Amino acid sequence: MAEADPNWVERLVEPARVHKAVYTDQRVYDLEMERIFGQAWVFVGHESQVKEHGDCWSTMIGKEPVVMTRDSKGDIHVLYNRCPHKGAKLTAEGCTKHKPMFRCPYHAWMFRMDGSLVSVPHRHGYDGTSFDPDDPQFSMTPVARVENYRGFVFCSLSEEGPDLKTFLGGAITSMDNFVDRAPDGEIEVAGGVQRVMQRSNWKIFFENLNDTGHPIATHESSFLAARKTSKHKLGGEVPFQLHIIEGNGEAPEFWESLDLRAFDYGHSFMTAIFHAPKGKISEDYKAALDTAKGKEEADRIVSMNRHNTIIYPSCSPHTGFHQLRVIRPISINRTMVEIFTFNLKGTSEEYWQRTITYSNIVNSPSSTVMVDDVEVYERCQEGMESDGMDWISQHRGEGRDNLLDREIQSEGISEMPIRNQFRAWSHYMLGTPASIPTGGGDS
Amino acid sequence: MLTSAQLDKPIVDSDLQREIEHFLSYEAHLLDTNQLEAWDSLFTEDGMYWIPLEHGQEDPVGMVSIAYEDAILRDVRIRRLAERHAWSQQPPTISTHQVTNAIVTAHDPTAGTLTVRSRFQVVEWRKRNFLRHLAGGYVHDLIKIGEQWRIKLKRVDLVNCDGVHDNFELFV
Repeated sequence: MAEADPNWVERLVEPARVHKAVYTDQRVYDLEMERIFGQAWVFVGHESQVKEHGDCWSTMIGKEPVVMTRDSKGDIHVLYNRCPHKGAKLTAEGCTKHKPMFRCPYHAWMFRMDGSLVSVPHRHGYDGTSFDPDDPQFSMTPVARVENYRGFVFCSLSEEGPDLKTFLGGAITSMDNFVDRAPDGEIEVAGGVQRVMQRSNWKIFFENLNDTGHPIATHESSFLAARKTSKHKLGGEVPFQLHIIEGNGEAPEFWESLDLRAFDYGHSFMTAIFHAPKGKISEDYKAALDTAKGKEEADRIVSMNRHNTIIYPSCSPHTGFHQLRVIRPISINRTMVEIFTFNLKGTSEEYWQRTITYSNIVNSPSSTVMVDDVEVYERCQEGMESDGMDWISQHRGEGRDNLLDREIQSEGISEMPIRNQFRAWSHYMLGTPASIPTGGGDS
Repeated sequence: MLTSAQLDKPIVDSDLQREIEHFLSYEAHLLDTNQLEAWDSLFTEDGMYWIPLEHGQEDPVGMVSIAYEDAILRDVRIRRLAERHAWSQQPPTISTHQVTNAIVTAHDPTAGTLTVRSRFQVVEWRKRNFLRHLAGGYVHDLIKIGEQWRIKLKRVDLVNCDGVHDNFELFV
């Protein structure tokens, strides 16, 4: 792409292919941090991570270190994690509990959980200066917008843009289903947060999440191994821990039969590939849900069985096994994925342990499944950095999408969700319309 | 567990100390020479291999881990490494384990059980410039069955367990 061309970004995306520069050009990455992560609603954390006054959770929104806090009135804030004095980060990565003030490690400026300045030492040193403790420039800076949808806290670094519900659009049903599955109506992050490093661009991971064409090829080693273990050690029995490995080896017709749905702003989901196993844990869970919600509603909740949902560009809930993977770009070819595991209030200890088992087997750094994903992501990154070819194909299922009302439906093996992500990508990067065309025409 | 002060002298005789140190070296040898079925057979039927996610983690079933594997999951890992299309093993990972500072912290001759804590350094090599250095402590809960020591639990406490990780393909 010629740098002299003012429309160089525009020329990177075509209807069914993208230029490799979207994954390899540092200027594209820098612009993404500004125009995508600087504008979109990005997942910060779950409200259960800051249950009480003085709790905080620090993380990154694009390249911005932020901290989510709970103040003395019970309100949640998201603040830039920097002291207004010399810029020092006020808290390290991760969670702290019950510390109702930030104290800067450099000169001991103190701040409340809402970011407001409490005190500065050597106060007389500021006598007669233009320092004003009530001036916001001497307090921690809040991000432009924060919204909490049923416990999921998102922020936007831009004053402009849709509200969170509009942004989530049709994908909001996955967020609802995530919470609705709790018999007591409440969920919480529990059991620790796993972190995996991928040596590849953040978009490669997103594209894979609804890529139904890859499991048979990529995951052959783990699903064949799981089948051999079943055959040779268990007489053909397939317990839960093997089911969630060998399920990737379903026949091509299975993947073709899946349903893919996509929405505005790059979101999408695919229907389930793993099912909750039969047995006492599942039966007890369903009975608890029946009691809490009524059988009809409980049936509706558990029958909404989805695999990965994509909330572009920051996270991916797995509603059925209560995982949320959060995507943090580190650099153009490094992506950190944080895996949050959720406990559903009103479920048994055994149910929780099964959720943990899923995290350990499918999402942990030791996963025998994910290891081949991470390998192919890295090979894509390395291959695209070569000058051998310029374009990346997204042609699978092109032209066969069903346009519904603010929603696209496609056959199971379509690359439609990837094309939908690049529709959103272009919207953020170029200011083109966010809405997907509908069956009734452009909205 | 015994306090540090109680461990200022060995709690087992030097023959048993040597036997246990040899067991740890032998286990590492099996890993480094890719004799993974033989390594796996060191475990009892219900033996577990555990890499906690957090320092001092006590609970392997109610908290996530880096790995918590029973005989079934270890078997999948071993079989996967031998699969033709284990893409992340092209080329395969080579590892070398050093195990030192073995201290027997518990020994019950009647029950035949023994706990040994040690320190390890593992270097893994796969491709290009990606040489990975892992370090930390092992805790082996052992039981003597016949003449053989077997592993009830191998706990791997990485110094950076709470960090951001590349994949763990082999056993640490």
